[in-house]
Amino acid sequence: MKRKEREIKIIYVYVLLVFAGFLAIPIIQLLLQSFRGDGAVGLSNYVEIISERGFLQALGNSVVVSLSAAVIATVLAFFLAYTIHYTNVNKKFKKLIRLLAVLPMLLPTITYGFAIIYSFGKQGLLTRLFGRQLFEIYGFWGLLFGYVIYTLPISFLLIFNTMGFIDKKFMVVSRVMGDKPFATFMQTVIRPLLGTLAASMVQCFFLSFTDYGIPASVGGKYEVVATVLYNEMLGSVPDFGRGAVVAMMMLIPSIISITLLHYLEKYNVRYNKISDVEIKKNYARDGVCSVVSVLILAVMLSIFAVIFVVPLVEEWPYRTNFTMEHVEAVLEDGSLFGVYKNSLFVAVCTSLLGLVTTYGAALATARSQLGQKWKGVIESIALITNTIPGMVIGIAFMLVFSGTSLQNTFLLIIVCNVVHFFSTPYLMMKNTLSKLNLSWETTAALMGDSWAKTIFRIVTPNMIPTILEVFSYYFVNAMVTVSAVIFIAGARTMVITTKIKELQYYTKFNEVFVLSLLILVTNLIVKGVLGFVINRKSKKAKKEKK
Amino acid sequence: MLELQHIKKSYDGVTILQNIDLEIQDGEIVSILGPSGCGKTTLLNLILGITDVDEGHIFFDEEDITAVPMEKRGFNIVFQDYALFPNLNVYQNITYGLRNKPDISTKEEVDELIRLLGLEEHLKKKIEQLSGGQKQRVALARTMVMKPKILLLDEPLSALDGVIKESIKEKIKQIARDYHLTTIIVTHDPEEALTLSDKVLIINEGKISQFGTPEEIIAKPKNKFVKDFILNQLEIKRNNIFTLFQNDIRRNLQVVNV
Repeated sequence: MKRKEREIKIIYVYVLLVFAGFLAIPIIQLLLQSFRGDGAVGLSNYVEIISERGFLQALGNSVVVSLSAAVIATVLAFFLAYTIHYTNVNKKFKKLIRLLAVLPMLLPTITYGFAIIYSFGKQGLLTRLFGRQLFEIYGFWGLLFGYVIYTLPISFLLIFNTMGFIDKKFMVVSRVMGDKPFATFMQTVIRPLLGTLAASMVQCFFLSFTDYGIPASVGGKYEVVATVLYNEMLGSVPDFGRGAVVAMMMLIPSIISITLLHYLEKYNVRYNKISDVEIKKNYARDGVCSVVSVLILAVMLSIFAVIFVVPLVEEWPYRTNFTMEHVEAVLEDGSLFGVYKNSLFVAVCTSLLGLVTTYGAALATARSQLGQKWKGVIESIALITNTIPGMVIGIAFMLVFSGTSLQNTFLLIIVCNVVHFFSTPYLMMKNTLSKLNLSWETTAALMGDSWAKTIFRIVTPNMIPTILEVFSYYFVNAMVTVSAVIFIAGARTMVITTKIKELQYYTKFNEVFVLSLLILVTNLIVKGVLGFVINRKSKKAKKEKK
Repeated sequence: MLELQHIKKSYDGVTILQNIDLEIQDGEIVSILGPSGCGKTTLLNLILGITDVDEGHIFFDEEDITAVPMEKRGFNIVFQDYALFPNLNVYQNITYGLRNKPDISTKEEVDELIRLLGLEEHLKKKIEQLSGGQKQRVALARTMVMKPKILLLDEPLSALDGVIKESIKEKIKQIARDYHLTTIIVTHDPEEALTLSDKVLIINEGKISQFGTPEEIIAKPKNKFVKDFILNQLEIKRNNIFTLFQNDIRRNLQVVNV
């Protein structure tokens, strides 16, 4: 007699309704909108956009700069990860690399752009240090720089994780078989990483291609798809039909990227066992790796330095005495501090609602007896949310919910974030849930538990580390995201990232940097506290196992 | 008495079990023995009620329980991996069922079980701190608190090593005897099955190969499978052990001769 699983069916229906209402319907509306133009239904919008030189130029620019960024970010990330996994440099230094490499994730991309302007611009911090401007920041080079910083942490995490799953004993095998060092390197490091390296490039390309924050600040006259899209929807002459077409065009590379990622999964090498061996002594290798790592991190940090310097001096670049007046001004300015409170509220609600949604969805796929087809629906949702760029979701929401009671509400922003960032935390939940003992529910049911009781008493307490991780993932992303919310945040539901975009018009850069600092500090606190708890929990569990 | 009549079960068109007819008397220890993939775990699941039968009926004490849901049958199981709850300590695990059915066992009965299974000194420990044998005993105690009408054990000894195995065997026998409890054990190890149980049910390719006491099986193997698979294995084991001890005996003799 199978259990009836009424609760799980209710959860399943809830998940489906959320994604039907806030993903399927908006995206379909967007698609329909793209065929609607000048009173007629047809391909006229597509023909118009594609035959324009401007758009094709922007598309070409997007591809070139995103591709370049993807290659550079992956190479740099490989260096950092290699230094940690394959050299004998100081352990503390390795820890520092790990920490600093992911730091950019805690800031909105729009901030990177301004940070680049203030470091490499005409009056920039680094320009003054070097005595001359190193490169033209508006346009290709600025974008490239921004994208590399943006995607480096993601690439780093990917490569770093895969390297951790490579069985290092094979290096010894290769060496005793008489391989030359280069052959060993290719065979035991590069070969097992090929899939991940390619995946990293695809992922970085996708992120750069769909990001709006960086081109918004340093794009200049170098048009990319994201800026075209923004101008069509919110520019001086908005045209929703044309905007919808551009959004659809943005979707194409995204779909290709995700398909490629799936295909590349096959190339991942799986080892039965991961063993650590002592890494061969090689001072030259260690030296080179340390120097390069330090260089990469130093350049990155020097850019972020301005975020700390500019708002803490009287008037950059003319009066450079330390002062807290800008920070105080922001904290005292009700409208600015109010925006910070909005952001916090949105981030906390996003995390909570995201937690419930991903947990429910993962329970349905990992721990229920629902049919494979039903589970497949949730898997597809996860895949689709991974494919759709934030800008596209934002525009779709704008088209569908304008004029409804949901327009300009926090709820809309929160649901948008939950849907947009669903994929990764869902997979985290599913992974952990499927690793927990599958007999628990049966055992507990035999002891008289209802399903819900088992979930609260047994499953959830064993999920705490993952639950906290999911919370922190949603929180940080909700704090830094700009691409979707820029289209749906209203005057009263302004969050920090959209406020930064607004402040850009009035060239109030002190405020921009103070707000960015607030985001950074908040994210650091949340990540720090949750990370500490997660670490302690998993360390405790490990200790007890010994 | 547990009675299975003409049980059939298939998954996705593949027949796992067919023509299963079986009677198990109260208080008997019965082992279900067979190679992996023979359908023995499916049979266990059918009796427990996790899985529905396709055809046939299951009776318990003359009552047809084929359509009775798992929770209402009153049987209980100890899984191969024990399924202990790691967020609760040993005592909380043992008394978990009392949170839902406070009257099912008295404090004295619980204490008696804990004493019988030798768990007094481990009650405050976390599950991760226990050895395999201790985990098995905790899982047994937790199940016994529920006073099951039938106790099902899925490969109860396969994760344990030598000496522990023998002591758990004794505990299982003792519990079945003391509580007059029908106990059904799934195993793939002939030695385990034949030394632990009153009756052994040998299954091969979804059908009953032989059902009888260990003595009957050794003396009168019903078919080639029982002979080749079951008896042959035991014979090899016996010879190996015999060879080992023969050397020992010879040496002892030499010592005496000198």
